[in-house]
Amino acid sequence: MQNFSNETINLDALPKYEETPLTGPAPKYWNIIVINIVLLLLFIGISLSLITVFNEDVQRNWMIWTGLYIIGALFLFLLFRASFKRRGFALREKDVLYKSGIIAETTVIVPLNRIQHVALNEGFLSRMFHFGTLQIYTAGGASGEIRIAGVPIEQAKAMKEALVQRLVINKETQNE
Amino acid sequence: MALDFSEPQRQSTAGILINGAYIVQRFVRAMFIPLALFIFKSNKIALLYMALGLVAVLIISIVYGYFYYRKFTFYLDTLKREFVIDKGVFGRKNLTIPIEKIQQVNINQGFLQKLIGVYSLQIDTAGSDSKEVNISAINGSTAYALKEHLLNGEKEAVANQNSNELIVQPSLKKETPFIKIGAGTLLKIGLTSNYGQSILLLSGFGYAVFHNIKELLRALDKDNGQVEQFFKNSVTIISIGILLAAIIVVLLATNVIRTFVKYFDFQISKHQKSLLISSGLFAKKNTLLHPSRVQITEYSQNYFQKKIGLFNMALKQAHSGQQQSEKEVKNNNMEVPGCNPSEKDEVLRMILSKLPLDGTCYQPNFRFMNLPILFSILLPLGGYLIFYQFLPEIRPFYSLAIIYVLVALLMIYISYTKHRITVSEDFIIKQSGIWDISQEIIEPHKIQSISTSQFPWHKSLDIGHLTLHTAAGNISFSYGNYTEIKLLVNWWLYQVEGGQKDWM
Repeated sequence: MQNFSNETINLDALPKYEETPLTGPAPKYWNIIVINIVLLLLFIGISLSLITVFNEDVQRNWMIWTGLYIIGALFLFLLFRASFKRRGFALREKDVLYKSGIIAETTVIVPLNRIQHVALNEGFLSRMFHFGTLQIYTAGGASGEIRIAGVPIEQAKAMKEALVQRLVINKETQNE
Repeated sequence: MALDFSEPQRQSTAGILINGAYIVQRFVRAMFIPLALFIFKSNKIALLYMALGLVAVLIISIVYGYFYYRKFTFYLDTLKREFVIDKGVFGRKNLTIPIEKIQQVNINQGFLQKLIGVYSLQIDTAGSDSKEVNISAINGSTAYALKEHLLNGEKEAVANQNSNELIVQPSLKKETPFIKIGAGTLLKIGLTSNYGQSILLLSGFGYAVFHNIKELLRALDKDNGQVEQFFKNSVTIISIGILLAAIIVVLLATNVIRTFVKYFDFQISKHQKSLLISSGLFAKKNTLLHPSRVQITEYSQNYFQKKIGLFNMALKQAHSGQQQSEKEVKNNNMEVPGCNPSEKDEVLRMILSKLPLDGTCYQPNFRFMNLPILFSILLPLGGYLIFYQFLPEIRPFYSLAIIYVLVALLMIYISYTKHRITVSEDFIIKQSGIWDISQEIIEPHKIQSISTSQFPWHKSLDIGHLTLHTAAGNISFSYGNYTEIKLLVNWWLYQVEGGQKDWM
């Protein structure tokens, strides 16, 4: 460590990204996720029952298939619940943090002066519940970008405005 | 030579030949299969007629080439700030390009053009087909002067931005090249590198030959499996030995030939603040590279190259635009096929403005090896053991399985010992590899974003992973000490967010 700390910078005194308090997605956003999962499960369920009607082999083993279906559905819910609980973002003075992950916990940090552009998406369901998805793009490719889902639309708009404003200021300072 | 482009002017007279050759080329390409069939099936008299016909095509092409040359004019409208091309023998075409829309001007030299000593000049505009704006035969100094005129019409900033892609005419490089790769070095490089690519190429080629022979035999109704039979008959221990030796010789020969074709007469010279790189046996390629556009500087070396003191280098540039094909990404990487330690340092100094000195070195935890061992050793081995019980046919291969496990273990262990990241004030150096050990160097201000991740069961062990995203790709460090990684991330964030340096 001592190799790259000099008199003026104390590494321990630098702001710590890992201690930034994060804002989770709005609790109501869980409803949208549930609706999405239920729709998906309905679709799979209908296909499965159609198969059961026409395929005698499956008909005989309907217990196994139903069991698998229920286990799969539970698993899906648990997975999404876990991922939902882990999500969180923070808008710091000079960067944006986003934490997510189902098994591994990943934190992506995008410095504001490296943002290329910002997009605000509203899906069909999200629009009904007044949520938005904020997407932050950099020149570093898809894996280094941030996609914050489930932000209340007013807050998302304000955040986008703030980020875009900062972008403009950054561009101006660069031009000077 | 009068270089007044405001008057309409023609291509170089050699353009007649070039135009003619293009037409012949197009004709032959279109007629290739019928022609081949014709030659195959006809008698002598028909062949004679055909030869006469070909001569006629040649003459007509040259005549057409002449008229095309007469009718092809271009000039620079200085008043309206437009570049105008008039062309077409039967139908006329008038192309007008506003000068400020010109993105870049490429000067190239193909094989035929190299023979005659002319260049082709292409003008790239935003959102148009670049093939349209192509002057196929233009003499060297005119091409360069025209390029200068076209680009000077733009604002300097724009020209600057494009300078990295500009392909420059050779007479530009009056400066003596500081890296010149001779035939001897190229031979050494061909013998020591890129085995993987050549193996792929050769196996593709081998398959194609096998397939084609079968096709031919089938077409002649004589396919009784001779090819397979031939291979079966010749499989003895001695012939396998000979075959292996032959494959190795062919592999090395392909490698050497490929290296020569691609990197013949490779030179790097300084041109103002940029690097001018030129190489190629048949078609010479000149590229002007701006050091600030380079995002990742990589050099690599394998065991043989270490012994003879050679490095391979790659200068990775930012991908422009959102989506790009594999090929374009590859084109963005400039490769220096071989250089000695002092030349390597010289290039590093040009790109990074100083040599990366030693910094703090971080090594991964031994758990780095867990997943590779699980997926490439334990799972395949388990599969083999299960089949071992049920399939007696595969039992004799147990010696191969043992060799596989040992080799894979060794490779995983080497990759573990080589995986490390070295951090200093101005540089981040990532080392990795098994056979080719590569060092990727980035400057902290080239970082676009950072991600860190951790598995829940690594929390108490304090192990985590780090990925630095740059415009030319990602740099990852896995299974490091998470406390140290977090400290580093905070430090890099400070450098990126507090620094005034732009990434491009």
